[in-house]
Amino acid sequence: MLETVAQAVVNGLLIGGIYALVSIGVTLIFGVVKIVNFAQGEFVMLGMYISFFLATQFGIDPIASLVVSMPVLFVAGVLIQHFLIRRVLGLDDMPQIFLTFALSLLLINLALMLFTANYRTIHTWYSDESLHFGGINVPMAKLIAFVLAMVLSGALWVFLHTTDLGKAMRASAQNREVAMLMGINPNRVFCIALGVALALAGAAGSLLMPFYPVYPMVGQIFVLMAFVAVVLGTLGNVIGALVASLMMGVAESLGIQFVGADSGLIVVFLMLLLTLAFRPNGLAGGRARQ
Amino acid sequence: MILGLRTRNVAWLGVAVVILLALPLVVRNSFAINIFIRILLFAFIGVAWNLMGGYAKQLSLGHAAYFGLGAYTSTLLQIDFGISPWIGMFAGGVVAMLASLPIGALCFRLRGPYFAIATIATAQVLMLIFLKFRDFAWGAEGTTIPNLGNAPLMMQFDAKAAYYYIALGLLALGLAITYLIERSWMGYYLVAIGEDEDAAEAIGVNAPRVKRDIYMISSFLTALAGTFYVQFIYFIDPNIAFNFSVSIEAALVSIVGGIGTLWGPVIGTVLLETTSALLQRWLGSSFVGVQLTVYSLILMAVILWRPTGLIGVLTDACARITRRAPARV
Repeated sequence: MLETVAQAVVNGLLIGGIYALVSIGVTLIFGVVKIVNFAQGEFVMLGMYISFFLATQFGIDPIASLVVSMPVLFVAGVLIQHFLIRRVLGLDDMPQIFLTFALSLLLINLALMLFTANYRTIHTWYSDESLHFGGINVPMAKLIAFVLAMVLSGALWVFLHTTDLGKAMRASAQNREVAMLMGINPNRVFCIALGVALALAGAAGSLLMPFYPVYPMVGQIFVLMAFVAVVLGTLGNVIGALVASLMMGVAESLGIQFVGADSGLIVVFLMLLLTLAFRPNGLAGGRARQ
Repeated sequence: MILGLRTRNVAWLGVAVVILLALPLVVRNSFAINIFIRILLFAFIGVAWNLMGGYAKQLSLGHAAYFGLGAYTSTLLQIDFGISPWIGMFAGGVVAMLASLPIGALCFRLRGPYFAIATIATAQVLMLIFLKFRDFAWGAEGTTIPNLGNAPLMMQFDAKAAYYYIALGLLALGLAITYLIERSWMGYYLVAIGEDEDAAEAIGVNAPRVKRDIYMISSFLTALAGTFYVQFIYFIDPNIAFNFSVSIEAALVSIVGGIGTLWGPVIGTVLLETTSALLQRWLGSSFVGVQLTVYSLILMAVILWRPTGLIGVLTDACARITRRAPARV
């Protein structure tokens, strides 16, 4: 019994690391640009397809294809901020919500047209390997993904706290007007924030590819997880999103273990509704209502 | 003046009604009739969404919840108790209204994007409940609705035209309700909430009550559409009844046509459904994905260039024409 619980917790933590990359992106965009990006999951999907095609066409390992998927999505983020999101900033809720929503619909359906609805997987030499600690089984692919996800999250934290650009970003998140008075160019900061957030989503996609199938709708589950984690972890808070994502991963994994294999989604949605009902300000308090 | 309408507008409305009533007598092609029925039905769902999403700017992405509840209530009543869908339709509306109370209590605690996300979750949870509990309502397999031949009392007809007239009646009901609300104190309260909820409350609008009431009306109407739809296609399963695309289309037709206007959802549906039908004709079965790709491009174009929707484009065009014409004395 204890071993089963421990195994479920380990599985949850490992996938929670991936959720964290997506959630940190959502929370970064919300904190800095004040937009909820409904399309964040679709950038995970794009990262996965990039790694999939690099692996099948050129034999490149999905983990190594991080060096392609991250820069590609960074550029995509900068372009999306500059040409699309910039134009709806300062308008009311409708354009802000439905612009990224339309982007999400567009990407899913383009993927459906180009790549069909088929599930595609990649098999690597480490896909079936696993390490054993006592009775607990740790799949190699998930462990690599988790470790790299934590490294990237740590790198983002260092970037936000030590570089001028990172500090400018945090300043814009705290108070946009004052940041502008200090000489920070908001559009440049917003472009970088979108780029970094999308690069993280792309990284999540590449890291998932060795053990997770890709299909056009794959992003939906990740973005929903991210929304819950971002609310739980207090909107706009990077560390909060990271901790909440790991918790979400564990909760989902326990749900699958003890309620049933197809209950994962119900658990997520119920967690979302319970969070919104009882903790709309996040576990640590703070401000969720705009 | 009749009921606050100008005589000229009444005349236009009369002409439109005559054309719409005569349409199935002239057009006999069943593909075309099907498209007309879809347009009327989705325009009606858009009108129902627009009452809350357009006037009060409570942007729901979960109206499939009420569509599905309406569909399941009338089907369960018909199959288990032999009750006519005509009664089941209104029973479904009442069930949806009651369901909107707890759902609203939960979701209205949030604003803007998080309200939209919470409503998505409620519709998905309902779908998963109907998928999971097989003994209660056929689970994932769904069920066909027994075909009784031509039974008008059970909302079953041989002629496609009958369905057309029901859908037309529903749309007329939706538009009439919108028209009345638009001109009542409630309409003004809704617009005030949509503009700025805190300011509306500061001048004495009971925002939670107004939002609750309009959500009940909106979900009641959406449930009627659900019953009609499953009676029309003779089949129900959780994926059809609670499909996310119903929630999406309800919002899209209103936004594309003109959010918070009487005729916006109708204009939006005519554009989107006609586009979709043409694409289907042209591309056949390789159509998957193309429809929503085109919808999302239209939606983006509207948001970036014409946030007032097509109705804004039409009013501008009319204004330009009348300005050019010499003033009549």
